[in-house]
Parts: sequence; structure tokens; C-alpha cells
Amino acid sequence: MLDEIINQIQKEFEKDIQDADSLKKLEEIRIKYLARNGSVTLLFDKLKEASKEEKPLLGKKLNELRNSVTEKFNSKKELLEKSETSSKEFIDLTLPGKTVKLGSKHILTQTLEEIKQIFKSMGFSVFEGPELESDYYNFEALNFPADHPARDMQDTFFINQKFLLRTHTSPVQIRVMESMQPPVRAIMPGRVYRNEAINARSYCTFQQVEGLYVDTDVTFAELKGTLVSFAKQFYGSSLKYRFRPSFFPFTEPSAEMDITCFICNGKGCRICKNSGWLEILGCGMVDPNVFKYVNYDSEKYVGYAFGMGIERIALLKYGINDIRLFFENDLRFLKQF
Amino acid sequence: MKISLNWLKEYIDLSDLSTNEIVDKLTMSGLEVEDVTDENELYKNFIVAEVKSVSKHPNADKLSVCEVFDGKENLQVICGAPNVAAGQKVVFAPIGTIIPNGNFQIKKAKIRGVESNGMICAEDELLLSDDHSGIMVLNENLPAGRPITEALNLNDVIFEIAVTPNRPDALSHIGVARDLSAIFNRDLRIPEINLKESKHKADEIASVEIIDSVNCPRYSAKIVLNVEVKDSPEWLQNKLTKIGLRPINNVVDVTNFILHEIGQPLHAFDLDLLEGKKIIVKSTNEEKEFVTLDSKLRKLPKGTLMICDAKREVAVAGVMGGENSEINPSTKNILIESAYFNPSSIRRTAKALQLSTDSSYRFERGTDPSITKYAAERAAQLIAEISGGEVAEGIIDVYPKIIERKEIILRYQRVTKILGYEISNGKIHQILSRLGIALKDLDENSLLASVPTFRHDLEREIDLIEEIARVNGYDNIPVVPKISITLERKIDQQKFEDEVRNIISSLGFYEMINNPLESEWEAKLTGNPISLANPQSVEMSCLRTSLLAGGLNSVKRNLNFGVRNMMLFEIGNVFNKKSDSSINTFEDISEKQNLILILSGKEEEKSWLDQEKYFDFYSLKGFVNAFIQKISLDNQLTDLYYSSENELYNYHWTKNFNNVVVGIGGKVKKEVLNKFDINQDVFVFEFNLTALKQITPEAKKYFEPPKYPKVIRDFAFIFDKYVQYLDVKNFILKKASKLLKSVELFDIFESESLGRDKKSMAFTLEYYDESRTLTEDEVEKDFNYLISEILKEFNAKLRG
Repeated sequence: MLDEIINQIQKEFEKDIQDADSLKKLEEIRIKYLARNGSVTLLFDKLKEASKEEKPLLGKKLNELRNSVTEKFNSKKELLEKSETSSKEFIDLTLPGKTVKLGSKHILTQTLEEIKQIFKSMGFSVFEGPELESDYYNFEALNFPADHPARDMQDTFFINQKFLLRTHTSPVQIRVMESMQPPVRAIMPGRVYRNEAINARSYCTFQQVEGLYVDTDVTFAELKGTLVSFAKQFYGSSLKYRFRPSFFPFTEPSAEMDITCFICNGKGCRICKNSGWLEILGCGMVDPNVFKYVNYDSEKYVGYAFGMGIERIALLKYGINDIRLFFENDLRFLKQF
Repeated sequence: MKISLNWLKEYIDLSDLSTNEIVDKLTMSGLEVEDVTDENELYKNFIVAEVKSVSKHPNADKLSVCEVFDGKENLQVICGAPNVAAGQKVVFAPIGTIIPNGNFQIKKAKIRGVESNGMICAEDELLLSDDHSGIMVLNENLPAGRPITEALNLNDVIFEIAVTPNRPDALSHIGVARDLSAIFNRDLRIPEINLKESKHKADEIASVEIIDSVNCPRYSAKIVLNVEVKDSPEWLQNKLTKIGLRPINNVVDVTNFILHEIGQPLHAFDLDLLEGKKIIVKSTNEEKEFVTLDSKLRKLPKGTLMICDAKREVAVAGVMGGENSEINPSTKNILIESAYFNPSSIRRTAKALQLSTDSSYRFERGTDPSITKYAAERAAQLIAEISGGEVAEGIIDVYPKIIERKEIILRYQRVTKILGYEISNGKIHQILSRLGIALKDLDENSLLASVPTFRHDLEREIDLIEEIARVNGYDNIPVVPKISITLERKIDQQKFEDEVRNIISSLGFYEMINNPLESEWEAKLTGNPISLANPQSVEMSCLRTSLLAGGLNSVKRNLNFGVRNMMLFEIGNVFNKKSDSSINTFEDISEKQNLILILSGKEEEKSWLDQEKYFDFYSLKGFVNAFIQKISLDNQLTDLYYSSENELYNYHWTKNFNNVVVGIGGKVKKEVLNKFDINQDVFVFEFNLTALKQITPEAKKYFEPPKYPKVIRDFAFIFDKYVQYLDVKNFILKKASKLLKSVELFDIFESESLGRDKKSMAFTLEYYDESRTLTEDEVEKDFNYLISEILKEFNAKLRG
């Protein structure tokens, strides 16, 4: 008797679940069979009425029925849920996302940071000095005699007889050496000024990075090693270079470092004035006269110094053809970096 | 400085060396060759041609159709020069030739419908002179077809050499040859003097007196009588032309030749124009006017070293001669001045007169005091040879205190110590001797060097080491593969500004770099500016006193570029005079590093996600406070608000540390923006980074997140319109129990229904205790208490 009912309910359920095409209909099925007054639940009440002998077998059958109904119901539910969400909640994932403001550091700052990072990894500290300098620090203590043509190498903006806008970052060398005893290993980045006409190739202000190392056993060979390592890290390890004698009052011997023109690969072009070489920095061994000004013993200590212009390096590296672009602050330019 | 290779070869044998080798070695030993003009290359296709016939161009008045014979065939060529005529020998550029002036190639072309097969050249097209009045007409005996490199002697190589200021000794052909003699280890040949002197004695004809012997340590004079002033012979004109000088006459040309041969500037006076046939060297003791030989009236400052005769000034010593005594076509007798002047005296004069000549350029760098006699004699010999004059016997040579050669001890091991590699003693000897330095071995470790007087730059051991290093080649200095680093703490004085840049740029700002030089009115907007003594222009006459004007100029430029929405920042130094008195010490100057933030235009563009929104004061405040929080100074700084306007802002606020303003900003006034042609709102905030850097940020501390639930209560009141949010918030915090942990404004509005001059502000209050769960009762009690206090204090009405 109960057997028949079980079979009947089973058949009826199979049909209903087959026909269910929405979660709403499925909910009706749940109420009809599985809820508190559902037909399957009610069957368990009937179990109480069954005889002791019948009970185990019937109980097993009822459990099988409930399990099978529950399982089929759940898998149908899962199926319907999937299809109904995909049809109802359509989302256009191709719409543009929220505009996030990026911001950036100036390309000259980025260039400087890259340079600083390389020298810091080689044990250099970073020092600063004032842009408005005295003649003493900018020239005299750097071994530029008064009334000497060497002063013409740098067109100077003067405030008065005694004060000026520094023409190079080298005065910071003096300030650093005045403040400490060797060993001194430092770079000194900063803004410098030159009374030069403003055009595509030159500007009245630019940034330099100065370098200084003073200790008991510093050599020109170490200067070369350090700068070659810097240049290879910054410009690429396959670079070719040369050191050429030059003149700075505060170094002796003095040199300029050239690297192969990376625009033409050394064949000669407009940028390198057909020489195949690009000058990237000036350097040399600290002149003993400079040590005199800072009371270092030039018999005991030897030093090297170097200096490079950031704008020039960035112009070359990014193929920018007009130095004035750095100072216009056109956002269409700034956003490129 | 231009140097002719052919001329150079008169003093040193370079026949086995290629031009490239010479150029490379010169550059790599310190005489940088900036440009090379190889005439053989430049003029390789040009030939002599004969103009056979000339007829008028059918379609153009100013053009001629010429028949030109190039040595092989007749060619039809169109020519625009007025002087072209049949029978002339001309310089002809066949098809394919590159014209030096303008660097263009000659092609077969139709000019106004008539075919042309080449070009007849003018001097300027060949870079031989500036003359473009007509074509260059050559000697009629030259055969057609001959290359002009042969016909016109255009077979030289001209170097443009940049000589550094420490090397005046290299400012001549012999000077360059001396370096080459050291580089290639070969002999230097200095021309010998071979004088035929007359019986007239120089010191009986004229006399020289030096009054200012500090500024004129030596004055040598040679006299040549009965010269005939005329054009120089071709060889001399040719030499001068090659290095870019204009031939003048045989006397002046010789003095110029000597200057470029050996580096000693000379001046020739018309002896008969010298009053009393006397030379007196002295400095002026008052301001004077003087006409130099370029016919210009010059104002001479007091203390200018002058060459005078018995009565008057006749030359500005070392710079330029005077018109009153210059060589002229009727000059018969001459006095050749060959002197050594104090470099700084000449430099002061040249600077004061703003006049740089070949002479002053060399004197102010330092010429050779020992060479004056040789140079005067060589000049006298040449002048006599080419002008038919006779050289008076002897030389007038006033040299009160002889300038001695310097002696320097060089230790071999010091060379190794400085350079980091060893150069053999033999090599060291060779290099120094070739440079003209006399050597004596002291012992096995050192030598004594006696430095010639033309090497002013060699004073110390280190200077000799440089000579050795550069001549031996910097390429030979090894590149060390490793360095040692001390383990002490490294200092980075830019760490803070680097961090600030990272924070500000990550908030969405773009970094600007503005010119720190600006006009006075701009600099005066924000401070007491320091002005330049020698500005380039009024627009760049002062140092900026803040970053505001530079920033506003960048806003303007962007508006001009069509960019209207901006978030900009800059970090830079600003300069102020501390008082109105003049600047004597660093104490009179304030140089600080500032940071400026600028907002203008739209914060949000209208999009499918967002409503359009313009930047306002609260955008600025949000960014400024985010920055301050990022550098952990939010508890150190206090805010002060100013809702009324001042010179720069409609309203503004300041960030303060210990009652000192460290930042200021707000909405920039229209009157200010108008000066920069900006027609939209701009919000700025400027910090004194130097001050911020010195404030110790609050140490980071960990707070355990609350374990027990928070109790949240909201209330809203109608206030008088002028009641400020911050006053209400602070009042609540003051009156509330310790359990109140935060008060946030969540709504504010004004409306008709609230009444005139009224506004509603709604707050959310958060209560909690770190150690227990709060009861509703205790929160309710405090909340009700706050309501009643607010109603009383602000005369407010509770809305809900």
C-alpha cells in the first residue's frame, strides 16, 4: 500500500521536476513535496502507523525517496539559477572604467633619480647647497683666480660683487669638505644658472649632478672605473666611451667623458656634430689648491670629482629636440613620462 | 682657433700621418679639434673652365646662356652674374658637385626653359670670401679642365681647435706643433733668425720707457726703416686667408703672421707719428677717451695700461692700436712692438672696453715673456724682406726684472699614485722634454723640471703629472673593476623631497619645473625679491620669492595649449631679501625650498559614471590634508582659516607649526589671475618644505582595532548660517563623554523651508569602549545631553 504511494509520488515528482522551467515553479515543487506539509514529509508520519516488521524496510524506502527527490531538486535548482542570472543581470564589461588620475614626476626628476640611484648603490651620499652663492664658493675656493679667463667659461648672473647664482654645483664640494674630514664620497645634485640666451639648445638654468670622492688612495683609474660603471648602467652595457683631456680650474688632471653617439651609433650625425661622440660629463682629480682652501692635506689625500648636466642627458636619452620643452610644463608633454 | 695643416708642417714632419690620425691625437691629448675642413674634399669636383660665348637668356633679363669649355667639351650653362663674359677663365661646378655654401648638389636643370649643365661660381659659394657681386674670374693662363684644388692652391686642411684657457702656449701654429712633437715623439723646427741690419742703431733712433712695470714687465722694440707699404706677397696673403684673416698690408700682415706662427702679438707703429720717437708704457690715472684704429671712440677707465709717445696715448696696450699712429700707405719707418703684459691687466681692459682681439685674447691668457725679442726680430726680418726696408741695428729691450723659469720636483711614485698605473721613467723624460721642459735627475726617485716661460700653467708637480697623463693618452689609464665602500651611515639630504614628490605625484599631480628668474612685479607679489645685477631681460630680472607666479604662468600656457584641467605641483627654491639693505652676507638672504600644489578646471569630467565637477576649495583641502597625513604631520600642524580676502586670495587657510606659518593657500583672486590672463578658477597651496623637513613626524604606533561593538547615533540641527562646522564639532567633542570616539558631518544644506540665513548640519556620532560593550542607556544619556547643550550654545533647532 505504502509502496504504491511511494512509487506514485516518485513518478509525479519526476514529471513535475521535468516540467519546472523557472525558480518560481521549482519553489512550488519544493512546497508540494519537501516542505513541512509536502507529500514526502507527510509520508514519514505514516511510518509511525506501520507494523514493527514493515518499519525497517519502509523506512529505508522512504529515505531513498527523500534523498533522490532532494538531489534531483537541488541539481535542477542549480541549473535554473545559472540560466536565470545570466539572462536577467546582463553586464556590459566593455564599458570604460573609472578614470584614475595618475600624476607623474618631471622627466628631469626621473632622470636625476635614476642617476642618484646608481651612485647611491656605489656608496655615495647625497648633499645639497644653496643656489644663491658667494663668489668665494663658486669661484675662488675652486681655484678660479680673480681676473682669469677661466671665469669666462661660465657666463654668470651676478647679484652684486660678492654674490651670484651658482654656475655649477661644484661649490657644494667645498661646503661638504669644510663640514667633514675624509673619506668623503658624495654626489651633489642641484640647479645652476648660466647667463646664456634661451633657445632650443640652451637655457638660463639647468640641473647638474656633482660627484666627489676623497680618500688616501683614490686614483684616476678608480675615477674611470666608477664613471664607466655608471655610464654602462645608465646607457647600456655595450656602450663605447673615451676620456679626453680638458681643463677645469678645480681638477688636475681634468677630463671630459664622451660616449658613442647613440643616435647614429658613432657614424656621425647632426646631434654629435659628425664626431660620432657625445660629451656626457666633465671630471678630474681634485686640484691640490682646492684642498688648501678646505684644509685637507694634499700629500695625504687624493680625490676625484665629476659633474654632469641632467637636461643634456635627458635630451639625448629621449630624443627631445628643444630644451625649452622642459620648462613649459605643457601637460601634453608632462603626461608622456 | 683655425690651424692650417700645410702651415703646421713647416715646423714638424707630419708627412707619414693621415689627417684622421692627427685630429684624433690632438683631441685625445687636450687640443680638441672641433671641426675639420679638408679643401681637397670640399673642392674635389670644381675645375677651371673657359667661357666661350655669352648670349642673353630668351626668357629672363638677368640671366645669360653661356657656352663653357671644361677641357673636354662645350657645355651650355645658365649664369646670373652680371660680370660673365666670353674669354674668361672661371670656376666651374659640373653636374654632381656639392656647393660648399649651402651644401646643395648641382643637378642638370632647365632654368626658365633653357637647359643648364653646371654652375659658374662666385667666391661666396666656395666659402672663399663673402663676395657675391659676380662670378670669380681666374688668371687667363690657367688651362681649362684643371682641378681648382691645384689651380688655386686649395689643398690644405684647416682645423678648428678649441684651446682651453690654461693653454695660451698652444694658441699658435708652433704651439700646436710642439704638442704634436711630444705626442708623436719627433722634432720641432723653430725658424732661425737671419737678420741683415743697417748701420743705423735702433736705440739712437727711438727709446722706450716703462713706468708701470707691474703691468708691463717687458717691452721689446725693433725698428725697420724705409719700408714700402703695399699688398703682401701671395704666399703671405694665402696663409692668412686660410685661417680666416683678411690681408691688409705687408707690415700688418707680418705682425698677424707672427702672432699665428709663434703666439706673440705684435703691433707696428708709424715711427714718424710717434712724438719724440718715444714709447712710454703707463697706466691712466683718470678716465680718458681714445680712438682705436677701427675708428671707434673708446672710453678708457682709470688704470688702463696705455702705450704713449712723448705727448699722448698711441695704443691701448695689448688690445688695439690707435688711429693716430697706425700704419698707412705713406708710412716709411716703423717701430715693432713686442711686449709682455700682465694678463689680468689686459683682461680688465678688454672686459671694460668689451673688445676681444687676437692680441688681447693671448695676452690675457699669458704670452711668453722670453719670446718678445725673437718675435720682433723675426717680424723685422720678414718685413724687410717683403717691403724692401732696412732693419736698424740692435733691439730696444726694456726688461727690468727677468721672469725666471719655474723649477718643479717630480716624484715618479707620485705619478703612479695619482694615475693608478705606472709610466716608465724613460717615457716621462721623453714627454716632458718634447714639451720644452729641461730635465735634471735628482735621484732615482725624482727629477727636477725647469719649465719654459710659455707654460704659465705648469707650476706644481700635479701639473707635470697632467702633462704626462694627457700626452701618454688617457686611454692608457686602466679602468678599475672594483671599488671599496666604507660601511658608515650614508647621508641623503634629498630623501625628504624625493618622498614628497612620490606622494604628491601619486595623488595625481604632474610635476612642473619653472624658470626661477621672473619679472619684478611677479616676484613682488609674494615677497621681497632679490634682483640680478646683469639680467638678460626685464622678464627675468629677479629671483622668485615663491612658486606662485611660475605656477600661474604654467597654468596660462596650458590654457593657451587648450588644456583646461590641471593638477600641477613644483618643488623649488625661493629667495627673499630679509631687509631692504644691501646683501653683504648669507644672513641677508633667505633661500628656502617650497612646494606648490595647483588645481584648476574640472576635477571630474562628465562621464557615464560620474557627474561633472569643478575643483574647489574642498578639493584642495582634501589633497593638502592627504599629503600631511602621508608625511605623518597631521597631529603636529594646526589650521587657521581666513574667509575674508587679502591681496592674493578670496579666502585662504594656513598650516602652522608652533604658531609659525609653514603653508598657505586658497582661491586665487581674479585680479591676480587677470595679470596672468587666466580666466578660470585656480586653487593653490604652497608649503615651506625646508620648515616641514625639520619637524619630527609623529612616530607610528599600533592601535588595536575595537573588539566591542560601536553604537552609532545621528542628529541634525538647524543652525544660523554663519555657524561654522568646526566650532560645532569641537563643541561636541568637548561636551561629550569619553565614550564618544568620532563626530562626522554627513549632510549640510540650506533651503527656503529652513528659513532665511539658516542651514542644516547633520552629524554621525560613534560611541565605543575598548574594554566592554556599551549599554543603550549610557549612550542615550550622553546623546540627549549633547542635544540640549547644542541647542543652548548655538541657538539651534533639532531637526531629527
